[in-house]
Amino acid sequence: MIAVLALFAGVLLGIVLHPTVPVALQPYLPIAVVAALDAVFGGVRAKLDGIFDDKQFVISFISNVLVAALIVYLGDQLGVGTQLSTGVVVVLGVRIFGNVAAIRRHLFSA
Amino acid sequence: MSGGAAALTLACLGFLLVVAYQQTTADEPARSKAREALIQQVQNRREQTAQLQGRADRLGDEVDALRERELGGATAAKLRELEAATGLASVRGSGAKITLADGPTPINPVTGERNTVARVKDSDLQLATNALWSRGAEAIAINGQRLTATSTIRQAGEAVLVDFRPVTTPYEVVAIGPDDLAADFRDGYAGRFFKQLADKYGMSFEATDVANVTLEAATELKLRVAVPSTPPPAPSGYPSAEAQPRNSSSEGGR
Repeated sequence: MIAVLALFAGVLLGIVLHPTVPVALQPYLPIAVVAALDAVFGGVRAKLDGIFDDKQFVISFISNVLVAALIVYLGDQLGVGTQLSTGVVVVLGVRIFGNVAAIRRHLFSA
Repeated sequence: MSGGAAALTLACLGFLLVVAYQQTTADEPARSKAREALIQQVQNRREQTAQLQGRADRLGDEVDALRERELGGATAAKLRELEAATGLASVRGSGAKITLADGPTPINPVTGERNTVARVKDSDLQLATNALWSRGAEAIAINGQRLTATSTIRQAGEAVLVDFRPVTTPYEVVAIGPDDLAADFRDGYAGRFFKQLADKYGMSFEATDVANVTLEAATELKLRVAVPSTPPPAPSGYPSAEAQPRNSSSEGGR
């Protein structure tokens, strides 16, 4: 319940503050979103598995976002930013699908 | 502590999602705005071009009028004759119209290549115009594009360029000349050649008489050589008042 409320609070904050993203940070935005989604689905899966741990959730979220941003930054410096972004999206996408499959098995036992 | 941290993380997440959404939707109008600006620019330039063209036409008319007034009847008439002959002025009269059009170009179902043997080539148009000149044509235009002494008819890939402007099938070669120009053309070498092409490859070829056609002046005729009629008071610095004719690389057409 608190989690849902917190999510809504974040959404409202974003709508009210309406921040503009600096041009230099724009390539990192989609990667950060995908990494955050991965953390969320991982958290939901852990919750359903009964092994949810707040600390682990927070750390996995932050580290996922940071590592993804680091990889994209490195790619930008090496001149292969788009390719590495694609790589990050693919890897995180695979993980998201794995987590969603586990959640589905829990909820529908199918 | 940890419950609060998780809530904070989720708040961050919601914030992140909203920012990403807003960023994506904000990018879209910028893109379409840039496109609209470009379209606007193109239209502006087009209007500008039309205005400048109108101004050039007006000034050209003015120059013509002034010249006529200064030169007087006989010289002006001679000048007009020369202009008509060289393609600088539009001419009106009767003559012949040769229509050439591509035949069918079937695609080979196996290789997927197009069989272009029935296409009208630059050499065909060159042959037609040369035949017309040799039979006494005084002015010729291909698809409305007036030919001059330095006109070029060339092939560039699939397109035929007349004076670097593309013309497409059907090609209408209109010539002003003697009354029997069309019949003459049909019976001559070129006419028989095109007849054969039409029979063999399905190209269409027609030579008809036309009356009262107007051929516009050539769009661009660069002045290459100019000789002053009266020797100028020798300006210092110029090696010679008489320019040497440049070796023109034009072929075809004539």
